[in-house]
Amino acid sequence: MSGFARGFQLSSELVGGVVVGAGIGWGLDHWLGTSPWGLIVFVLLGFAAGVLNLMRAAGVVRQRNLND
Amino acid sequence: MHPIEQFQIVNFFSLGHLGGHEIFFTNSAALMLGAILLLTVFLVGGTAGGRLVPTRLQSMAELTYEFVATTIRETAGHEGMRFFPFVFCIFMFVLTVNIFGLIPYSFTVTSHVIVTSVLALVVFFTVLGYGLYRHGFHFLNLFVPKGVPSYILPMIVAIEVLSFFSRPISHSIRLFGNMLAGHIALQVFAGFIILLGGGLGAIGWIGGVVPFAMIVALFALETLVAVIQAYVFAILTCIYLNDAIHPGH
Repeated sequence: MSGFARGFQLSSELVGGVVVGAGIGWGLDHWLGTSPWGLIVFVLLGFAAGVLNLMRAAGVVRQRNLND
Repeated sequence: MHPIEQFQIVNFFSLGHLGGHEIFFTNSAALMLGAILLLTVFLVGGTAGGRLVPTRLQSMAELTYEFVATTIRETAGHEGMRFFPFVFCIFMFVLTVNIFGLIPYSFTVTSHVIVTSVLALVVFFTVLGYGLYRHGFHFLNLFVPKGVPSYILPMIVAIEVLSFFSRPISHSIRLFGNMLAGHIALQVFAGFIILLGGGLGAIGWIGGVVPFAMIVALFALETLVAVIQAYVFAILTCIYLNDAIHPGH
């Protein structure tokens, strides 16, 4: 795999986590009127999830499974 | 020519109205339909004879079957073979439209994020639906790693859930981004030739040999990327399906 493809793969893992976190946080704020706390909490959680995805994709930590 | 002009959707003819929007048959739809027709001809033609000593078309069809079947067995186990038609369709479709995109003056269907995200969401909901159907609430244990102290467990579960939900994003962005970036790079280098020739005349056209050589090299790379990204998309589908089939393994 080319270096570009590898870089794109890993960066999309990180960005995916943050985007999903921000989306959920923004949605919760919008419905529950908790602005800005939902966004703050879920962007941070999303960032953590992105880093976890990134480390799994890079093979630094094991893939998730139920017997862990 | 602008480097992103090649991604323009062109409306061919109208198919009628749906929910206040006019639905058009576009160049994207035409290429998807073309890919499906080509695959149908290829596979029906390849399997119609069913000879013991295969014809060329039959051995090509058998080769693609073996390739996808091996990939599934290696990543999702023997039980993964029940998803063979699904993975095979996704792989062959993405591969064909990627290669169609390499034809000059053609259009790359997978360079539009809406197409790749729909494919990724179909995979995501298949995994979610099959996992819940097959394992019931036991499937949700996927989000609860064992051996984590209870005081940080809620946070870990939240992170695992977000990580699960971010999968379709990275799954779709990867294919879309690779195709988009590769085709833009090709167009930019092609633009250099025109700029050199238009600006410097004869010397420019001779100098244009350098970007032209780059295009040849990039085109070879893009051909590789088209195949590899279809394979990566299929193998990730298998890995995600594996979670739905064997969450306890």
